[in-house]
Amino acid sequence: MENITDFGERIWAGQTGHFFIVLSFISALLACIAFVLSKNNTAYLKLARISYNLHGFAVIGIAGTLFFMLFNHFFEYQYVYQHSNTEMNMKYILSCFWEGQEGSFLLWTFWNVVLGWILRWQLRNEEWEAPVMSMVALVQVFLASMLLGVYVFGYKIGSNPFLLLREHEEFNKLPFLQIPNYLEKIDGRGLNPLLMNYWMTIHPPTLFLGFASVMVPFAFSLAALWNKKYTEWQAIALPWTYFGVLVLGVGILMGGAWAYEALSFGGFWAWDPVENSSLVPWMVLVAAAHTMIINKNKGGSLFTTHFLTITAFLLILYSTFLTRSGVLGNASVHAFTDLGMTGQLLLYLLSFVFLSVLLLIRDVLFRTTYVILSLLTLAFAAFYDYQIIALIVWFSASAIITAICYTLYFPKEKEEEQLYSREFWMFLGSLLLILSAMIITYFTSVPVINKLFGTAYAPPKVPVYNTWVVPFAILIMLFLAGAQFLKYKRTESKPLLKRISYTFVLALVFGIVASIPLYFLNDTAANTASEKWNAVSYSILLIVSLYAVLANADYWMVVLRGKLRKSGASIAHIGFALLILGALISTSKKVVLSKNTSTRKVSGLGKDYDDTKSILLTRGDTLPMGPYFVTFSGKRKTGMDVFFDVDYFTKTKTGELNLLFRLSPKVQDNPRMGKAPDPDTKHYLNRDLYTHVTYADLEVDTTRANSDAYASAKNFIGHVGDTIFSSNAIVVIDSLYSNLSEQEYERNDSFLVVTSVLRCVDVMNKVYFARPKFIIQNNIIIPKEDVVNALGLKFVFWKINPENGSIEITMSEKLSNNKDFIVMEAYVFPYINILWLGCLVMAFGTFIAIVERVRLLKRSA
Amino acid sequence: MKKLHIIGLLVIGIAIAVILVSLQNTSTYADFTEAMANPEKEYHVVGKLDKSQPQVYEPKINPDEFRFTMSDNAGLTKSVVLHKSKPQDFDKSEQIVLIGQMQGDEFHANDILMKCPSKYNEAGNPVN
Repeated sequence: MENITDFGERIWAGQTGHFFIVLSFISALLACIAFVLSKNNTAYLKLARISYNLHGFAVIGIAGTLFFMLFNHFFEYQYVYQHSNTEMNMKYILSCFWEGQEGSFLLWTFWNVVLGWILRWQLRNEEWEAPVMSMVALVQVFLASMLLGVYVFGYKIGSNPFLLLREHEEFNKLPFLQIPNYLEKIDGRGLNPLLMNYWMTIHPPTLFLGFASVMVPFAFSLAALWNKKYTEWQAIALPWTYFGVLVLGVGILMGGAWAYEALSFGGFWAWDPVENSSLVPWMVLVAAAHTMIINKNKGGSLFTTHFLTITAFLLILYSTFLTRSGVLGNASVHAFTDLGMTGQLLLYLLSFVFLSVLLLIRDVLFRTTYVILSLLTLAFAAFYDYQIIALIVWFSASAIITAICYTLYFPKEKEEEQLYSREFWMFLGSLLLILSAMIITYFTSVPVINKLFGTAYAPPKVPVYNTWVVPFAILIMLFLAGAQFLKYKRTESKPLLKRISYTFVLALVFGIVASIPLYFLNDTAANTASEKWNAVSYSILLIVSLYAVLANADYWMVVLRGKLRKSGASIAHIGFALLILGALISTSKKVVLSKNTSTRKVSGLGKDYDDTKSILLTRGDTLPMGPYFVTFSGKRKTGMDVFFDVDYFTKTKTGELNLLFRLSPKVQDNPRMGKAPDPDTKHYLNRDLYTHVTYADLEVDTTRANSDAYASAKNFIGHVGDTIFSSNAIVVIDSLYSNLSEQEYERNDSFLVVTSVLRCVDVMNKVYFARPKFIIQNNIIIPKEDVVNALGLKFVFWKINPENGSIEITMSEKLSNNKDFIVMEAYVFPYINILWLGCLVMAFGTFIAIVERVRLLKRSA
Repeated sequence: MKKLHIIGLLVIGIAIAVILVSLQNTSTYADFTEAMANPEKEYHVVGKLDKSQPQVYEPKINPDEFRFTMSDNAGLTKSVVLHKSKPQDFDKSEQIVLIGQMQGDEFHANDILMKCPSKYNEAGNPVN
């Protein structure tokens, strides 16, 4: 590196950041070791706490430095250069912070620090402080290492966000870096336009707070294994688990809301690997919360709860691995870019699997065996080229050992479970959640399976997920409706059946009345076997989710007499059932409004190949679209955004058009990121009208559209009967005739006229003829053009190829022919607000449950 | 035998069923040659846009029909009918994944995934 000061770079900023990174790593390591030691010797506790505080301070220092640099546009730094620029609105500065992998790791680390502080305060001087905080600190060691950016034995550990452009291996080739005062001239590359959305300022922090809160039950669970006390921790961890369920759930749905508002795949959920890999830990965490309640009220489920809390966290790590390692490749639209940390992310995951199994084993000899086995497979993988086999062998061994530990150390139920008991159905419900989580994980992991086994399966599409998930949703809804009416241990069956039958009959009647018009009596009624199956399964899901809403409301109002404090579960269940109901109706009854009426249909391949879903709107023309009349009335450019104003009218009885509203879907023409469409949606209480522009000319210059000039000519080579497409007509070469026969021309080559007859059919099926002539006089070609004024088309017949009998014609169109147009898709999502309402109700119910559990915990303490 | 054991067996049964059933129906990555051999089956075909051949998009005739030519990774070139509007930035695409099936000598795609030049590696030069 040459004389640095010449460039005017603010080296001190990066050095400050890097200092905090190193400090955060070392202090986390120190805290971890000291907490481990203080488990048996409380003298170390003070050191451990100081180190942890220092770590927290360092993490805040890293974040503060990065913010400072982003805020002040220190473009000499790669992270600032890559993720922000001076043009952007500063309200999205937060999105810049976590757009990159490093920033999002930092966000996660930050939340862990905060939760760790709360935990430390909650557990102060209790026997749980040292073991739980050791686990928290260990997670932090791994997370802090993600920012280190150092090389150990030639292998890069972490990615440092405080690198100068000149130090960065991808960016140091940028030519402007050779200019001494480059800083005065450059601007950053800016934020991905898709992230410039208010959801993107609140979704990531919520999601990562959710990720962080999954760590808490995990830390408790491992600490309990370590302490060999399998029960006591569950009551303390329960409110934390609820908290994780709440925050992670809301975070995931915020992601859905963002996708619905800002992305153009047309919906709130696309079963994208990125979405799935946060949904799956949530489902497992929900199951864990339920087995904890079983344990609290009836005992048992010890192994299951340990297993689920640990698995939920490991799945978060797996999710991190999937979305950040580049293993997904083409399978996901919004995975992070690969930073070359695949190995490190995998090691992170494997280390925690290893630690969990190790702590599960109680016997010292057994533990030693597992350590040796793990080291052997690691050595085998390192020195031979069989990493995949080693990985599979090691995972299988770990699974077998887990099963052995279960039979050896965990108490078994003596008596048979009662069929009419709450715990039995709660357990079954949790099991169904886990089973569906397993199926989703399996589908999501197809790219990983391909890597492991060398197969070439494509990632499953949305309908595959829907088909598999619906049956599970049906059963889960059914259990969620009925289980509360059962008592723990044993319930009399007769009054119970009577009690739950009222709401069931009510739901059945309502559900059937609703689902017949929705799924059976309409123009899109089911034809194929799979469509019929879907119609039936959707109807059943509709009935059972209605039942779940009603039954839980009944339980809350009648059994609990409307008491709010105890109603957390009922309200959360109502919310979840509403969410499923809203998702079901809005997805299965999504209606395409933007039907085109094209006469040229190429598709004979079934529904997937529908070629009528987009509508072409020519500027100024009014077309019917669903219940509306729509006009594309103009476009305007603000910054990089091109807005397309589309007016929606309704027709009065007298035939006049009344303007209802205007939607302005936009396309951002970002020179660095490409063209990104951004939908616009009209929200009604009972439906949403969602529109986005799929194809448009982004030039805002409109002078050419009024011009009388012709565009440049296009040449066509063909025979009689061939077709030429203009923008407004189909042109067929109808026939050719000549003033001379071929023989006459051979004899007397003075004057030849060949006339081509072109039949032009416009979109209204009106026919026009053009007759351009090909003339040879004294061996000189003099073509005579012909013009169809009504169509604005000019034809020149200028060549005959005697060798194959083909002719060549050029066609030019008037510029005004190509009136400005857009291609748009428009959908109606019916009752999507039920989904969002369900989300809010579920969050509220979970919140009440947290408050109640914390109250009970305090009382028992 | 306890109820939970029966349920456990059921769970394992369902898991195996899911794996077997889904593997049968799932689409695979393939090239045009394989797609031609099974014209009814849906495939993911990876390839590159053939820029020497014309692209036809005539939204006035049908906004959901876009024709172009792609050469797969084995180098075989086929004309493609995409049953969607022409994607923005289509010409910039470096790599294309088509999802669809062969019909006659044309590949009919119901969806397309494009990999555009990475926004992180582009040699953009903001100076001048």
